[in-house]
Amino acid sequence: MAGRGKLIAVIGDEDTCTGFLLGGIGELNQNRKPNFLVVEKDTSITEIEETFKSFLARKDIGIILINQFIAEMIRHAIDAHMQSIPAVLEIPSKEHPYDASKDSILRRAKGMFSAEDFR
Amino acid sequence: MGQSELEESSLMLDEKLLRCMEQLELLEEKRAALNSLIEQGWFSMSKARYSMGNKQVSALQYASEIEPLVHVHTRTLDNNEVEFCIERVTQKCNNESGKDVKTVEDIGPQEEGVRRRIKSKNNSTEKEETEKAGSERLLTKTEPSEVVPVIKRDQNPQQDPLKWFGILVPQTLKQAQSSFKQVIELSAEIASLQSAVCTAREDLKLSMKQKCALVEKTSAAQLDKVTD
Repeated sequence: MAGRGKLIAVIGDEDTCTGFLLGGIGELNQNRKPNFLVVEKDTSITEIEETFKSFLARKDIGIILINQFIAEMIRHAIDAHMQSIPAVLEIPSKEHPYDASKDSILRRAKGMFSAEDFR
Repeated sequence: MGQSELEESSLMLDEKLLRCMEQLELLEEKRAALNSLIEQGWFSMSKARYSMGNKQVSALQYASEIEPLVHVHTRTLDNNEVEFCIERVTQKCNNESGKDVKTVEDIGPQEEGVRRRIKSKNNSTEKEETEKAGSERLLTKTEPSEVVPVIKRDQNPQQDPLKWFGILVPQTLKQAQSSFKQVIELSAEIASLQSAVCTAREDLKLSMKQKCALVEKTSAAQLDKVTD
């Protein structure tokens, strides 16, 4: 348990980010780079993808929380991430309830029982 | 010999599969708990917004300096499984760290020391004052440097995010905060479980391949026996 530990990053709508920041996960580092992204209506997919990739590249992030509807926009980037750290967790949002069938990890687990997966 | 090996491998495979199923079941349970807690958090936040005003609980209120109060510790186990553990910075630690922080001297209400104003020379007639009075004036001139301004130490950079939204925030906002704190704890557990499921999947895949190879080997041996 020595050391500072890693951070939890969030990519989500305003309420999700506000909630998690209330919980105490927020950080603005020395370069004024936050560990969260508030996705508004006008936030582009490129910006979301770039932020997600920058979070993946950061060594100080242990878990990335992302609203499932946002994860759907950058599904290819999430599916491409195979490392255990940082862990990517898909969470529901106010308008979009959580759907297990869309979750990257559960889809991989589901593939465990298909014949193709064992070849 | 081949048959017993095959049986052993099948049993091991079954065991791994059952363990994986258990993990998936647990993951589903935790997911359901997480979803309901987030929902509860949003509901409390909406109530707070209703009582405080629409724009009073939004991204606009985030502080300009944000320090994390939660850290995640990761530990890789022998089977490449990663365990995530949440550590929350306690308030006591906050106060201790607050003492070490170099305080920036600000002007204004932060300085609590009482300053005596330096009396300026009003006119040239004061030049004729006695030597005693002159020495007194000298003393008063040096006094302000002796007054050490007391700087408030309770300006904590790791302050409670609840204070971004005001000093007297409604109870519902506190409830929202507590819900999200629980969500954070749960998310670490879910991350650990996800990692366990992924490792179990890889392990199961490997065992299945080994079993397939064993089956092929056994059937080839049996065929050889029949041809002999």
